[in-house]
Amino acid sequence: MEESIQTIDNGGGEEGEIATLRFLDSLDAYVSLLNSLSSTLRQGWLELASARHSMGSSRISSALFDLKVQSASTTCQVTDSSDGSPSDSPHFTLSKWVSSREGKCSGEELTQLQKESSSSKLRHRGAPNSSDGVDDANSAINDSHSTVGNIIQKERSKSLSVFGALVPPKLRAAQGSFETALDIIVELANMRASMLSSYSQVQQEMAEIGDSS
Amino acid sequence: MTFNIHGGYLEAIVRGHRAGLLTAADYNNLCQCETLDDIKMHLSATEYGPYLQNEPSPLHTTTIVEKCTLKLVDEYKHMLCQATEPLSTFLEYITYGHMIDNVVLIVTGTLHERDVQELLEKCHPLGMFDSIATLAVAQNMRELYRLVLVDTPLAPYFSECITSEDLDDMNIEIMRNTLYKAYLEDFYKFCQKLGGATAEIMSDLLAFEADRRAVNITINSIGTELTRDDRRKLYSSFGLLYPYGHEELAVCEDIDQVRSAMEKYPPYQSIFAKISYGESQMLDKAFYEEEVKRLCLAFEQQFHYAVFFAYMRLREQEIRNLMWISECVAQNQKSRVHDSVVFIF
Repeated sequence: MEESIQTIDNGGGEEGEIATLRFLDSLDAYVSLLNSLSSTLRQGWLELASARHSMGSSRISSALFDLKVQSASTTCQVTDSSDGSPSDSPHFTLSKWVSSREGKCSGEELTQLQKESSSSKLRHRGAPNSSDGVDDANSAINDSHSTVGNIIQKERSKSLSVFGALVPPKLRAAQGSFETALDIIVELANMRASMLSSYSQVQQEMAEIGDSS
Repeated sequence: MTFNIHGGYLEAIVRGHRAGLLTAADYNNLCQCETLDDIKMHLSATEYGPYLQNEPSPLHTTTIVEKCTLKLVDEYKHMLCQATEPLSTFLEYITYGHMIDNVVLIVTGTLHERDVQELLEKCHPLGMFDSIATLAVAQNMRELYRLVLVDTPLAPYFSECITSEDLDDMNIEIMRNTLYKAYLEDFYKFCQKLGGATAEIMSDLLAFEADRRAVNITINSIGTELTRDDRRKLYSSFGLLYPYGHEELAVCEDIDQVRSAMEKYPPYQSIFAKISYGESQMLDKAFYEEEVKRLCLAFEQQFHYAVFFAYMRLREQEIRNLMWISECVAQNQKSRVHDSVVFIF
């Protein structure tokens, strides 16, 4: 890698520098995410141990996991690049707490609601005479926000119910930590894909520079 | 005056066992261990030594807890086989809580299509009874009672639970807490009948247990489908919080409201003073510290049965301490070891 940077410094194009910088940025982000994942998992495991200390070892154990066949509450979708070019990388998307068991809300609908509720946090400056429309839109957004919140809360409680219907806050905190860890893992996968893609571009630039010289 | 005729030997035995509880120096050594093998080495110099010496490396935290529990079970069985009435009944009452937990474990595991043998290995040894494996065939609470529990000491506690509703997670949780409520009330009445110092000290200890359970049920049910009426039905009919504190707890929607309800009672004001607003993580430790204080005070008087209850609870607290220290060592989180260790002496 040192040789490639030196070669780029000597002759190389701007594109090579940009690719290298992109690679280094994604590498830095990858390492940061790894550290973040490690600390989140450590926190989650300690919170789980704390919950076991509070409830008793027999109430929190793998012997209580539900072996009945059921649909996953969280799915990960992988989108591959269609044209096969080396610069494109697969993209990982996590859909949390989606359950089509009761048919109330499919995964795509929930993801859409989640996006709408997150975009509702942005302030929009509208015209003064559109206040009625803004109020209606705000109440619709609030309704969808609470719908998403209720569904997610129910799904969270459902997955914890294997340990009992009344679980302590420590176990819910552990669940939150592992949920955050899952988000970080998917982000890590995307960052790794981006990093590998950047590295391929750097190698490509090096090869082109080598050919031209 | 006549206590020593039937209870003197066992009181001496239990006071001897109490002297074997781990001290602050033992905990300081354990908290400095780097690995679980170090913990095993330090425990080999204590009364747990013979129970851990044959365990091969690498050790697991559950192994340490299991072996330490075996020691408690051996001591309990020795005392039970030497006891005469009414002490033998008193000692049996101490195990009914574990029996309830085992019943719920088997029923829950069966609902989740787990193997019965695997579930039996996870049961607490103090709560085992002969027909426990038959629990797996029951489909609802009526069958649970009719097929299995009618011949167990838990039978009288089932009168409020018998329905034909299918067993699901919420119904099982309500069953657990209803059984435990009935058990605590029955134990309380039994101790009142014994009278004397036993009644006086056990009333205080059981009332504290009932109040702590009420607080835990309240906090754990916040944000769940458990209605206020169902929550109120799970509270025991005795204790410092009965009945007005229970009325306030039944309508609490967050931890701060629970704090407001509890701070009206001076013994619990000091407990909630130790935790900050909106936070409940350290509440368990605060309750355990208060419980240990009360259990140690039970040994200040003689010629009563509460020492047996106090000893069992102190040993269970010690095993919880060892479990926490082992987890912190295994997870390389020794800085958090003092979060949940409650010193007994």
